[in-house]
Amino acid sequence: MRGIDLAALSKTQKLRLEKALEELESLSSKVNSDASVTIADSIAVNHEDAILKGHGTADLNGEVVATLCGIVERVNKLIYVRGLRSRYKPEVGDIVIGRVVEVVQKRWKVEINYSQDAILMLSSMNMPDGVQRRRTAMDELNMRSIFEEKDVVCAEVRGFQHDGLHLQARSQKYGKLKGGQLLTVPPYLVKRQKQHFHHLEEYGFDLILGCNGFIWVGEHIEAKDDMVEDQVNQSEPQVLLPNKNATNLEEQEKNYTELETRKYICRAANAVRVLSTLGFNITLEIIKGIIELSLSLNLDIHEMLSSEFCVVVAEKEAERRKSNKRRR
Amino acid sequence: MVGLSLGEQHFIQGGIAQDLRCDGRKRLAYRPISVETGVIPQANGSARVRMGATDVIASVKAELGKPSLLQPNKGKVSIYIDCSSTAEPAFEGRGGDELSAELSTALQRCLLGGKSGAGAGIDLSSLVVIDGKICWDLYIDGLVVSSDGNLLDALGAAIKAALSNTGIPRVHVAAGASSDEKPELDVSDEEFLQFDTSSVPVIITLTKVGKHYIVDATSEEESQMSSAVSISVNRQRSICGITKRGGAGLDPSIILDMISVAQHVSEQLINKLDSEIASAEAGDDES
Amino acid sequence: MEYVSPEGLRLDGRRPMEMRQIRAEIGAVSKADGSAVFEMGNTKVIAAVYGPRQVQNKSQQMNDQALVRCEYSMANFSTGDRMRKPKGDRRSTEISLVIRQTMEACILTHLMPHSQIDIFVQVLQADGGTRSACINAATLALADAGIPMRDLVTSCSAGYLNSTPLLDLNYVEDSAGGADVTLGILPKLDKVTLLQMDSKLPIDILENVMQLAIEGCKAVANYIREILLENTKQLEYRRGV
Repeated sequence: MRGIDLAALSKTQKLRLEKALEELESLSSKVNSDASVTIADSIAVNHEDAILKGHGTADLNGEVVATLCGIVERVNKLIYVRGLRSRYKPEVGDIVIGRVVEVVQKRWKVEINYSQDAILMLSSMNMPDGVQRRRTAMDELNMRSIFEEKDVVCAEVRGFQHDGLHLQARSQKYGKLKGGQLLTVPPYLVKRQKQHFHHLEEYGFDLILGCNGFIWVGEHIEAKDDMVEDQVNQSEPQVLLPNKNATNLEEQEKNYTELETRKYICRAANAVRVLSTLGFNITLEIIKGIIELSLSLNLDIHEMLSSEFCVVVAEKEAERRKSNKRRR
Repeated sequence: MVGLSLGEQHFIQGGIAQDLRCDGRKRLAYRPISVETGVIPQANGSARVRMGATDVIASVKAELGKPSLLQPNKGKVSIYIDCSSTAEPAFEGRGGDELSAELSTALQRCLLGGKSGAGAGIDLSSLVVIDGKICWDLYIDGLVVSSDGNLLDALGAAIKAALSNTGIPRVHVAAGASSDEKPELDVSDEEFLQFDTSSVPVIITLTKVGKHYIVDATSEEESQMSSAVSISVNRQRSICGITKRGGAGLDPSIILDMISVAQHVSEQLINKLDSEIASAEAGDDES
Repeated sequence: MEYVSPEGLRLDGRRPMEMRQIRAEIGAVSKADGSAVFEMGNTKVIAAVYGPRQVQNKSQQMNDQALVRCEYSMANFSTGDRMRKPKGDRRSTEISLVIRQTMEACILTHLMPHSQIDIFVQVLQADGGTRSACINAATLALADAGIPMRDLVTSCSAGYLNSTPLLDLNYVEDSAGGADVTLGILPKLDKVTLLQMDSKLPIDILENVMQLAIEGCKAVANYIREILLENTKQLEYRRGV
């Protein structure tokens, strides 16, 4: 079974897992209909209506066939196949997390789990001093003081241009992420929502659910207000030293993430890992639920990756979805 | 292979210093281990071991051969590891060769003992059929299917499991064959000799990050290592081999410290592995 | 040697038109974008797909389509007699090429310009028909990676021994010296994409053998389709809404 190492499960665990999954299957609305298709399956359409063929479909001798494995969706005239497991498919306005792979002229190339590296232009980036102005040659030379290779950054999808996919980071909430860990999950598990940045105050950490399946869990960083930033920084020289990090590292030796916060960061990270192995949707509520579940069971953090906990989460999820359905 | 930003590196190092690693483990804790045996029916013995996202297969093949002139009363064992490109696109072509060679030699050092075959974890003299003439050659092949750090320990465990799964056909030597003639052999299809694997050591790699060392490092943690020491320890807690990797120098006293830690950890690992192997073998018979 | 007994049974007890047991499993390598294990009798292969991703070697980048690459390798323990072969010998290179061309023909490469798709197939056990098993595994892995394709490609071999057409040859039958036809089809489009045959065969018999192989491919296609559909359903209901 995908993602779950069945060899590690005992017989009773296997049975419990099967039961939970069966329950999930019965709760799902789309599965029992014939909406699931595989590659080259023909999709039934009424040829008298005008139709628009969307993603994941192709025309074969007048017949509409799927080119992906997924679920057929119909919106008015549009028919498309919503794929499940795949690389990230960008949409304008998505919040994504990526890793800088290259710093080139006026732009950073960022790996975001898409079929190409995305481009973040220096000009689509708020300068650290917060001033809106033309980018000078000096700024270009100092690009590495903003982001270096391998840095994890958060940004928004700006759109496609002739040279590829562009990102932008025109707000203080975007930018470099540090003091935490990056997790990767299949992008179909992260749903687009109003809010992708979460600050879990009770636990004291930040959670960013990137639409591209990159998830950041890290220390909470106070979002700085643009205006305040302006005033403070105006007196300071604009050029940031590129080796700022190197000197800081020594100091940081003493101020590692606090143990209490780290415990919650790891708990959240393991919650995401469990959800990803089970292939369950990943949202703030569900992650919170698993953190609470693990706390109430008095589990050590690493025990959250055991097969037993995996089965427990599956059972709880089945229960949760059942009660959700009843409420509706 | 793994590129991490300074912020992430710092987070990992901090976690190790505070004894709470990224996945919540303590410094001396292992990821869940699972063992499957008999995965390659064509081999005499085989096993698949998973530790987290690390996934390796080991197989044992026995062939009749001639013992070397220097050790007429011992069989031969060779270990060869291959890194499949399925595990990492970087292993494509010759990309995995260096790592394969490093793993192969480290395993040979840890499991096979010295050149004379003394001190080997596998009892080489049990492989002899006729002194100086015929012996079993064991070919141990490992394959890395998916890699997420700590390959050496996983391969060591897989080899141990594969050896427990190995049955070597019993050979009947036709009586009366004089010493200069080629003796007639009858290789049995039904009778198999089981290996005594109780003395096969396990390998414990201690990866040093900052001031501390950890077991079962993930590939992210491995990218932060200054050096790593792989120690193979058997059930009697004796050391069967040591390999140090990584550039940074180590204080000799730390190495001794590491060895005693490895001895302590080995006990848990051997027990865990033995129970996993036993349950895998039991499951094997059922199906 | 007799490969088909008078009762019409083959060495491993199959009837001439019977395939070995096939088994497939999706998702064997957690880190890959798509992966699958495919077994035909004792033949067992793993395929992993990485991509579509940024082209690693810029000079190979194509502006109108994706670059498809493939590497085939055999584990040392995969054959009956242990062999120690370096990677990239001629046989592997040839099979890599065959798999690449076959898969490239059905991937909609024009939808993913500037990117590259890597297909890695690893033979764990070889008992005849590795080429076919590799192609079937690669199809599953590509579908699992969510890469758009014109059609599934499936493959099966057939041969001719003791004046009987035989489906899905195992190693013993394969090395018997008779003709061995490896065929790959696009089941929906009903087209042959791969055809390889060694040794000679009269044309009218070739037709029979080919027809048999096509039947085999179709049976594989049905099985693969079932597995993929089951997997899709499972992903969907596990995810929930």
